[in-house]
Amino acid sequence: MAHSLVDHASAVLLGAGLVLWFWGTWPLLGTHSYLRKLHALSVADTLGSLLMLLGLLLRIPGQWPLLTLALLGLVVWNTIFGYVLAACSLPPPPQPATEQDSAP
Amino acid sequence: MRRLLPLLLSTAFRLALWCLLTSDLSRLNLLIGLVVALLLPRARSRPLPVRVLLKATVRGLLAIPQAFAEALRLVMAPAMVEREDSEPATDRALPLLVFLDVFRITLTPFTIVLGLEDGGRRYRIHTLTPASKEDSEP
Repeated sequence: MAHSLVDHASAVLLGAGLVLWFWGTWPLLGTHSYLRKLHALSVADTLGSLLMLLGLLLRIPGQWPLLTLALLGLVVWNTIFGYVLAACSLPPPPQPATEQDSAP
Repeated sequence: MRRLLPLLLSTAFRLALWCLLTSDLSRLNLLIGLVVALLLPRARSRPLPVRVLLKATVRGLLAIPQAFAEALRLVMAPAMVEREDSEPATDRALPLLVFLDVFRITLTPFTIVLGLEDGGRRYRIHTLTPASKEDSEP
């Protein structure tokens, strides 16, 4: 009984993760602004994948060290990569002219 | 203690990652992990204020359930509005704190940090929130 309950909970988590994945990746094909797509991707990539990893954790508890590592890596890497992509979308700040540039 | 804290924290973090990666808690493996953790290069760091660091970490962890709540609201929202916003930075002198702040803000789907502005005193933030009634009316 308890076994099937865990199986069901895991299936729900995996399914919810998949729903978030599709919700977040589908707008990538649309014409929305770049940053809006990034917001959607943070839902899909970070939160959707997090739910899926939790589902896997329930399904294969024996692999918890690697899954925990994946969880940690995923959340930190995805979030910071999202920030890097967002920061890169801005126009570069005006650089003060160096001596080399001003030389003829 | 405050001077030693960065060293202790980074070594403990690296050792924890090593243990998760190898899933082996034998004495020899712990010793190898400790040596690797100490040998890996580390950034030069200043003394860390423990209380501020703890607070930033807790806020970062609390952002995870908040992120799910925001994701749900975005999924349910019929329309969304984009805005630019800013928030004062806690302490730009400590890279770890800036990192935790950027992590906390960017993790939640409503907000993404675009960078620092005002000479590093504020975060420039892009927000995407469900449209309220006033927004949807022309």
